[in-house]
Amino acid sequence: MGFKLDSKIPEGPIQEKWEKHKFKCKLVNPANKRKFNVIVVGTGLAGGSAAASLAELGYNVKSFCIHDSPRRAHSIAAQGGINAAKNYPNDGDSVWRLFYDTVKGGDYRAREANVYRLAQVSNNIIDQCVAQGVPFARDYGGYLANRSFGGAQVSRTFYAKGQTGQQLLLGAYSSMMRQVNKGKIQLYTRREMLDLVLVNGKARGIIVRDVITGDIERHTADAVILATGGYGNVYYLSTNAMLSNATAAWKAYKKGAGFANPCFTQIHPTCIPVHGDHQSKLTLMSESLRNDGRVWVPKDKGDKRHPNDIPEEERDYYLERIYPSFGNLVPRDVASRQAKFRTDEDRGVGKTGLAVYLDFSEAIKRDGKEAIEARYGNLFEMYERITDESPYKQPMRIYPAVHYTMGGLWVDYNLMSTIPGLHVLGEANFSDHGANRLGASALMQGLADGYFVIPYTLGDYFNNHDLEPVDTNHEEFDKAEKEVKERIDKLLSIQGTRTVDDFHRSLGKIMWDNVGMSRNEARLKEAITEIQKLRAEFWKDVKIPGKAEGINDELEKAVKVADFLELGELMARDALERVESCGGHFREESQTPENEALRDDENFAHSAVWEFKGEKEAPVRHREELKFENVPLTQRSYK
Amino acid sequence: MSAKEEMLTLNLKIWRQEDRNDKGRFVDYKMEGVSTDSSFLEMIDMLNDELVKEGKDPVSFDHDCREGICGSCAMMVNGQAHGPNALTTTCQLHMRSFTDGDTIVIEPWRSRAFPVLKDLKTDRSAFDKIIAAGGYISVNTGNAQDANNLPVSKENADLAMDAASCIGCGACVAACPNASAMLFTSAKISQLAQFPQGQVEAAERASNMVREMDELGFGNCTNHAECEAACPKGIDLRNIAHMNREFLKAKVKGK
Amino acid sequence: MPSHNYFTYSIGKKQITAVTGLGLVGFTATHLAGNLLILVGADAFNAYGHALVSNPLIYLAEAILLGMFVLHIAMAATLTAQNIAARGRRYYIKNRSGRGETIASMTMPYTGTILLVFIILHLINFKYGAHYETTVDGVVMRDLFRLVVEYFANPLYVAWYVFSMIALGLHTGHGLQSSLQTWGLNHPKYTPKVKMVSVAYGVLVALGYSGLAIYCYFLN
Repeated sequence: MGFKLDSKIPEGPIQEKWEKHKFKCKLVNPANKRKFNVIVVGTGLAGGSAAASLAELGYNVKSFCIHDSPRRAHSIAAQGGINAAKNYPNDGDSVWRLFYDTVKGGDYRAREANVYRLAQVSNNIIDQCVAQGVPFARDYGGYLANRSFGGAQVSRTFYAKGQTGQQLLLGAYSSMMRQVNKGKIQLYTRREMLDLVLVNGKARGIIVRDVITGDIERHTADAVILATGGYGNVYYLSTNAMLSNATAAWKAYKKGAGFANPCFTQIHPTCIPVHGDHQSKLTLMSESLRNDGRVWVPKDKGDKRHPNDIPEEERDYYLERIYPSFGNLVPRDVASRQAKFRTDEDRGVGKTGLAVYLDFSEAIKRDGKEAIEARYGNLFEMYERITDESPYKQPMRIYPAVHYTMGGLWVDYNLMSTIPGLHVLGEANFSDHGANRLGASALMQGLADGYFVIPYTLGDYFNNHDLEPVDTNHEEFDKAEKEVKERIDKLLSIQGTRTVDDFHRSLGKIMWDNVGMSRNEARLKEAITEIQKLRAEFWKDVKIPGKAEGINDELEKAVKVADFLELGELMARDALERVESCGGHFREESQTPENEALRDDENFAHSAVWEFKGEKEAPVRHREELKFENVPLTQRSYK
Repeated sequence: MSAKEEMLTLNLKIWRQEDRNDKGRFVDYKMEGVSTDSSFLEMIDMLNDELVKEGKDPVSFDHDCREGICGSCAMMVNGQAHGPNALTTTCQLHMRSFTDGDTIVIEPWRSRAFPVLKDLKTDRSAFDKIIAAGGYISVNTGNAQDANNLPVSKENADLAMDAASCIGCGACVAACPNASAMLFTSAKISQLAQFPQGQVEAAERASNMVREMDELGFGNCTNHAECEAACPKGIDLRNIAHMNREFLKAKVKGK
Repeated sequence: MPSHNYFTYSIGKKQITAVTGLGLVGFTATHLAGNLLILVGADAFNAYGHALVSNPLIYLAEAILLGMFVLHIAMAATLTAQNIAARGRRYYIKNRSGRGETIASMTMPYTGTILLVFIILHLINFKYGAHYETTVDGVVMRDLFRLVVEYFANPLYVAWYVFSMIALGLHTGHGLQSSLQTWGLNHPKYTPKVKMVSVAYGVLVALGYSGLAIYCYFLN
């Protein structure tokens, strides 16, 4: 059938688009709001803030999360901060500059109108969170403190120690729980969404599995909101949490939602390096560390001396050398790629050689140990706990790790996917970060979507669509539930020899080696074949003990990995088709003589949106052309 | 991959329980080749990997972020909530805290308000209910004034941050000889009481949250401070004193 | 919310326990001060006792004291029962962190029970014990001194008394500082000092009472 990609960007100058659009959005009168039911899947920043805000407006919200409590969503792990164009420090920030930095930081692969709106509402987010009692850091005068972050030359990042994500999430969570108390939100914890149900082409419900009882449940609604996060766990090792997965988004894709730019993944430069084979996940160290830490490797190849024994003149502070104006604060993609280049040159450090140093000795000398401890104490502690080495005494070892996925389900300006009634918020959508996300912008986007965008656009959807009553006995629910149960039974019936984790690790290795920081045609093609082989083997040889009823952790994992095995292939396809380098997507065929990413704006200034065509057929790639009317397309330079 | 990596052989004694209704029992396992650089949960992953390969049911436990922030992981390790190290969640506990040949006893949180669901997994939804009873400032989206209109002294902001760092893991309840949830409850009451906008409904908040906590069947604080000692985020006992004050104020006001 | 008053809340009960406990701590101090008159001599001790019982306010004081005891015990017993129920299944092993619980805090219900038994026996033995008479400055009064000295002639009684006073020392040593915490008084600067004072008070009370009992034993 093929879908039409109408981005629904409002007319007019960019500064006025959102205001005008809000006015044009039809309203639902307060008495009628209680007649509408909304399903929100996910309780991170985007889902939590959406559920709370919609319930406050009067909608009946059903909120689903995979954890035992909504407060545990992985937004909680964001450390550094949240951006806003408040310009409190009086250092030249503005909505326009935040917009500009975000479009540029995303390497010109994001939709201008969305990014501008994001910058506009960024200030409201800070106000809202402060009102909720989020304990942002403050100066002695009692006013909010700011710090600087990668990709920007102003201090616009608000923070709450190294736990900003946690504090913002707890703010959204408490707002949510207030509505739970009022009966406006029904909370369904420990549920995994296993399918989206469409009735007459509109999203009208979901199928979930209660992971405690194993029961398959049906839930109906007038609209479905997915806020289920990113798919970084395709790589097995990532900074994502163990439960983070792509299943909900993937099921939506298979039901007709376009999947945009799946190859845009962010590799975060400052993670703790891998220690061994049994490692289960990677730990991120906040990017704010690069404010005071200096990144270096030895000048000589294979220099195995203790870092403290390597004299100053034999160290290569390569970020400062290559990018004198941004130095250690270059955007994440640049910092990560440069680290990879160094280790590829055999100048990596540590036992595995897959690490670079992040050195605080100069900052400690300059500001004193106490000042550094106040800024990064908890991060240093965490690092020492994991590695048994003190960053006060020797440089940290860091290495890039998969962290965030800019790609996701395609949405229009209203945050609606190609399926009417299916809205997608936060990391799960593709909207605002283009090919690379700037630090402290994920929290901003999640909350912008949930607090300030969806409350307006959802009402407009309800006004513009006839929604006939649907109950759970509808044949579409029968069909969806049957498919879900069959898939589970099939998984349990295989009883092969390899564990789910074993398959996941194999997939992760294929992805990291071929669809990682640096990609080329041959390896991408190889990845596609290998993933297909691995997927076939999975469905023949996976071993899952236990039964469908009750708690079955292996089954839960298998359901997710089965979808990762499909998504991984789409990522490789997308990376293969995009024969240019931009942001986190680096194609070796497309680089400048200095090894910088080289965009091809003539052929690739678009978002690639993939349409599912059936299990046996190749997906179809559509384009949403991107117009840059306000930020001139230039080669990004941080030199 | 620290320089001091060693391999350990360990004897594990783990609580196994089919479901809510099962009586449950300890089962012994022997583990070999556990790296001192592994985390405690990675050690259990290794065990589970072997169990699955043998077609047996793996040990069920809550875990997610493995960075010590989500509050999912929760187990008694050798009779101590989250194990022997101060200010450490189970996921951040590393095997270098143990020695070769150790026997490690692993049990779920024990509290009537946290029933065991399976093995080491418990139902901690009681904490959500306490928050739902009043752990918020009642501000609808869009109501807020400019963030800098209400200055808050750095001291109060820092106290609020310290209280707000609670991750809701339940170690305070698990470690308390009385299975009391007062540290958890007080952290929220105390956090919100630091802000002028939090004062507005401070009395109702204290009263409602304490009542909910009582009704859920948690025990009472007898000021042992085991909660504070077990708390991986170092939530201070002063918060309980603060809650007691707020509660008294509420009752004086007749709330 | 008619069904919820101060007494039905956990913290309400705790605060009642704490404030009555503080009152009882005050009582132990004044009682000890009175007992110290034993060191001055029989007449001084007996005259003090006589002055107390012949003051009509004594009935009010006794009523308040009894009220405090009853409230303290009733609240503490309810809280303890709830605490035991709250745990449910007990731990296979439970190790203290070493940074929280103390022997005094752990044993509050036990030391409290010992003290209850002690007080009942104490009242039977002394308040309602043998009624000797003596004359001081021409006034006929009860010879409590003789009763006390005779009682402590038995080393078993001395031992029980000392044992109970150690329980009292532990109970008040934790209780004093604990009651301040329960009333919301906790300060990073003062609380450590309060804890020291509290423990010192417990030690002094235990030593003071026990010392006098042993002194009386040697008077025989």
